[in-house]
Amino acid sequence: MGDINKQTAKILVFSTEKISDPAIDMAGLLKLHYPPTVYTISVPCSSGIKPSWIMHAYEKGFDGVFIAADGSDCVYGETCTEKTGKLVGKTHNLMKEKEIDPARLRMAAMCSVCSESFVKQMRSFNEYLLKTLHA
Amino acid sequence: MKEAIKNITYDALVIGAGIAGGEAALNLANNGYKVLLVDKELSVGGKMIMLSKVFPTLDCAACITTPKVSEISRHPNITIFTGSEVSNIRKISENEFTAKVTKHPRYVHVEDCTACQMCENACPVNVRDQYQFGLIGRKAAFIPFSICSPKAAAIDIDNCTLCGACEKACPTNCIDFTMEEEILNLHIKTVVVATGFKLFDAENMPRYGYGVYKNVITALQMERELAPTRPYNTILRPGDGKVPDKIAYVLCVGSRDASVGNPICSQICCMYSIKQAQLLMGALPMADVTIYYINIRSFGKGFEEFYQQAKGMGVNFVKGKIGKISEKEDGNLILRYEDINEGKLQEAEHDMVILSTGVLPNTGIEKFFENQTLSLDPFHFVGQTDALLSPAKTSIDGVFVAGTAIGPMDIPDTILSAGAASSEAISYLVEHP
Amino acid sequence: MEKKPKKIGVYICHCGGNISDYVDVEKVRQSVEGEDIVFIAKTTMFACSDANQRDMVEDIKANDLDGVIVASCSPKLHLLTFRNVSVRADLNKYTYVHANIREQASWAHSDNKAGATEKAIHLVKAAIAKSRYAEALETNKVKAIKAVAVVGAGVAGMKAALSLSEKDCEVLLIEKEPFVGGRVAQWDAIAGTKESGKEMVKRLYDEVIKRSNITIMTNSEVIENKGSVGNIALKIRKIPRYINTSDFKPEELKKAVSVCPVEVSDEFSFGLTKRKAIYESEPGEYPQIPVVDMKNCTRCGACEKVCKAVDFSEKEEIVEFAVGSVLMATGFDPYTPAQGEYGYGESSKVVTLGQFKQMVADQNGKLMHNGKQVKNIAYIYCVGSRQTEGENTYCSRNCCTATIFSAITAKQKFTDINNYHFNRGIRSYGKQEIMYADSLRQGDIYLQGNDDNLPEVIVNGNKTSVKVNDILTAGKEVEVDADLVVLVTGMVPRADHSVGTLFKLPKGRDKFYTEVHMKLRPVETAIDGVTIAGTCQGPKNIAESVNSALAASTKAYSILSKGELETDPQIARIDAEKCTWCGACEEACPFDAILKVEKDGKTVAEINNTVCKGCGMCAPVCEPDAVNLIAYSSEMITSMIDALA
Repeated sequence: MGDINKQTAKILVFSTEKISDPAIDMAGLLKLHYPPTVYTISVPCSSGIKPSWIMHAYEKGFDGVFIAADGSDCVYGETCTEKTGKLVGKTHNLMKEKEIDPARLRMAAMCSVCSESFVKQMRSFNEYLLKTLHA
Repeated sequence: MKEAIKNITYDALVIGAGIAGGEAALNLANNGYKVLLVDKELSVGGKMIMLSKVFPTLDCAACITTPKVSEISRHPNITIFTGSEVSNIRKISENEFTAKVTKHPRYVHVEDCTACQMCENACPVNVRDQYQFGLIGRKAAFIPFSICSPKAAAIDIDNCTLCGACEKACPTNCIDFTMEEEILNLHIKTVVVATGFKLFDAENMPRYGYGVYKNVITALQMERELAPTRPYNTILRPGDGKVPDKIAYVLCVGSRDASVGNPICSQICCMYSIKQAQLLMGALPMADVTIYYINIRSFGKGFEEFYQQAKGMGVNFVKGKIGKISEKEDGNLILRYEDINEGKLQEAEHDMVILSTGVLPNTGIEKFFENQTLSLDPFHFVGQTDALLSPAKTSIDGVFVAGTAIGPMDIPDTILSAGAASSEAISYLVEHP
Repeated sequence: MEKKPKKIGVYICHCGGNISDYVDVEKVRQSVEGEDIVFIAKTTMFACSDANQRDMVEDIKANDLDGVIVASCSPKLHLLTFRNVSVRADLNKYTYVHANIREQASWAHSDNKAGATEKAIHLVKAAIAKSRYAEALETNKVKAIKAVAVVGAGVAGMKAALSLSEKDCEVLLIEKEPFVGGRVAQWDAIAGTKESGKEMVKRLYDEVIKRSNITIMTNSEVIENKGSVGNIALKIRKIPRYINTSDFKPEELKKAVSVCPVEVSDEFSFGLTKRKAIYESEPGEYPQIPVVDMKNCTRCGACEKVCKAVDFSEKEEIVEFAVGSVLMATGFDPYTPAQGEYGYGESSKVVTLGQFKQMVADQNGKLMHNGKQVKNIAYIYCVGSRQTEGENTYCSRNCCTATIFSAITAKQKFTDINNYHFNRGIRSYGKQEIMYADSLRQGDIYLQGNDDNLPEVIVNGNKTSVKVNDILTAGKEVEVDADLVVLVTGMVPRADHSVGTLFKLPKGRDKFYTEVHMKLRPVETAIDGVTIAGTCQGPKNIAESVNSALAASTKAYSILSKGELETDPQIARIDAEKCTWCGACEEACPFDAILKVEKDGKTVAEINNTVCKGCGMCAPVCEPDAVNLIAYSSEMITSMIDALA
């Protein structure tokens, strides 16, 4: 049984308390399965994630980091998308410096009912990471 | 010698501590009003606290009920009387009612009881457990059910032999057979009636064999089999303890049926049956579940999708009214029905049959009121004087109604109805200071 | 940072099997009990039960714990429950930390018990890491304005306004249309009452205008929203009626209407009649003041010449109001069938249920359509609802009963008609069942299709017929030659949801506004201080809409009745030593919560505590890393990452 986990990539998800975390909860409620090595830390808004946190995750052995962004649904304002985009850009530069494949950081906007889309994203990210890192 | 009758005063009296009464009491209490919440049962939480999971989200019922119950029990503005009944409600002026509250003795001092169950273990009497709908037995000294509130033992005096074993076993000396009925005079300004519903007694439909064939049970009994605090800790048929693998649901038992005096639709049975079917498919992956229906009424938010999900999971839906059920020697059951899609009479064998019994009014509520008439509707539910625009208003100004005392409704509708009743009651209290 | 090591309690919930069927909760307990700050680690059947809450309070007090963690369901359900437990045990509520091992472990990974258990262990360890940094925080108290803006003056909105007014709450009732009453004002006969829809609206409107604490604004729209629960500043655009009511002569106005050269389809009559660009209210439309519809007016000036009251100099106004909370009651749109959907737009015999009801109300003696007497009426149910192909998978709830009732009303008025109901299973739930029985008794015929056997409308020259394989007669093909085909159109979310977007209201899978929790918090939304009522939340009948309106008004009132509110102290914090004032945070802040101040001879940023909402947008843009969100500091997040890794 324990072996199953070795077949999945370790992914850290930054979700948002009001928008994307409810979608991830709903994926559970609907028993839509995704790899159990996907861990979520929830923050108020995706535009408040620090690049240093993401870099820390790679240092600690996470294969991938996924930002489940608020997108246009953000309760704090429409600039969220742009700002989240910027911090992702900044992180990509840091990743390049450290020779980390920028594709190991993904971002997608998740609405509060985007459960299926979340699960699809996790499965495809997992496949990509397994292919590139653990093949 | 009885003591002098005690007088007590509150802003609002809420009759019935199910989810409707509880929600109404909380809304009133959160706005600073003192509430007396009375229930004739030994625990608050009504019927919902007994359920397994709830449609269409499959949240567990306890996860929703227990924190509410906890909030109600702890609220500084709410006083709860369980095992108590209200009578003689009199309107004496514009914002003043009097009533009599009878507290039946529990024979246990709740505040001293730790629910250690030693009295249960000591009690030699075995009777059917009404809180498990007769699926199993309980003692005459008993804790009503595992998540009851107040969580304390009670003595079922009708079945008690007064042997005294429980009293000896009790480590806190909280059992007290000298307790007497207590009558209180109550003054209040407004009343919320949230007396809930009762279920159709399936024995009144002899052709389905309930009470005769052991493997014919009601949906509420199945609800207990599916609940996390369930009696057998698995699903089995009561006749011989076999795990069933061909289960049938019979809908509209005692609903939409003028011949048993209940022509209306019970509004919840389609959905609770679909829910149970989904839960059974989860618990017994190899089992076949068939639902025999007239119309599937999945009308609420997310309900149609829930129905489609059940179809997708493989629940069989057969449009047909069951004529008769008969029992085979091995305990299996033969259902005779008219298959509407095929247009002919059919027979099917199942090893367990669940009757989805309908919602009936609790009768006698109008008798609580003395000098004014609480009107009932043609089906004996509490009447509404302005059903569309003021659904909580009754024929008595200052008396409001919430939840299934009005008619069949599901949990979300009940909560909204309780919101409406408490809203009207708060307005009444503001306008009649 | 901590002087004395913290002592915390960890409670791992079975959730009556919801968690423990998939997650080995005992293993989780054993895996975390050795952590340095963990003083107590227990499992419990229902963490949220009263008995366990009492145990937790006792544990905290007896062992002098500094904080607790409950690993159970989603924090959306019970974060507040357990914060309150902490408070009862004399702990600050922000010392409480929640771990979600149900929705995000046991349920999400019910296919992999070992994986689910492993994940739960990590999630609880991350919660312990978080608890290490969780500090006691004091909430800010802000004054709550005891006034509510009700958006939408249909039956739900007016009822909510009245209910709040009765509770001595100021109400601002805002209606986008020139008249109140919403959809109900369009209807005559209504199921369940002898009153017509128009009379019902009049009864509510008369009561609303009697009340001095309700300000009613028609032709008005919310265009801006600032602030937060307790004090929300609204900007409302009020479009003038272009009629001077003080100088108002009814005969002149009639003339003005008659000279207006513009004719448009009148939505109030479901497009069955036309109206001018200047028009008087219909019976049932309130206030009974005429209006000029500037969208269609050509400014030809003809009306002005014959009627002094017409005043084109009236200007659009922007009005500002401050309220404590907002109650949304913006209603629904009736589904508009696509061109060709069941013959809609292809045969003039195909109408919607709204149009049919209007025809029945308007006509007497014989029911006529396009100059021909109507005998056979075919009702096609579930048009735009329960779609097997299409987005609207939900049931519109009210249409079965509305249709049966309309068919009964029509039959009583025009005795020689025949009603054929092409349905997909009649859903006359509850007491409405009686009406279904009545309709069968009066001889209505019900033909039933199903998901993959829908009725078909055949338009052949002048002939329009409806065909289905009727499952009630063993799938026999039945065809009815119809003089009128009534499409029973369901409810859809408003096409214009701009006001919802303004308030950032989340929508559900059905695209209606969605509540926090269907059973626990059915009228509250994810946006603090915004409640929802009526059909903007999903299909409802009148009584159900009113129930939700009253429930929402109670919630709105409960928030404001105490006159003050606590705001979340989880806001941004600036490390003045690190700050070099570059202004990046000020630029990033969407709320103008960052002030430029002089501190010890240095220019630094400072947070305006009552304005900051704690989004954290200022944190990643700070080059010297001087900004942290309280409760989401870098230290805390990185140690959580360590625990998860």
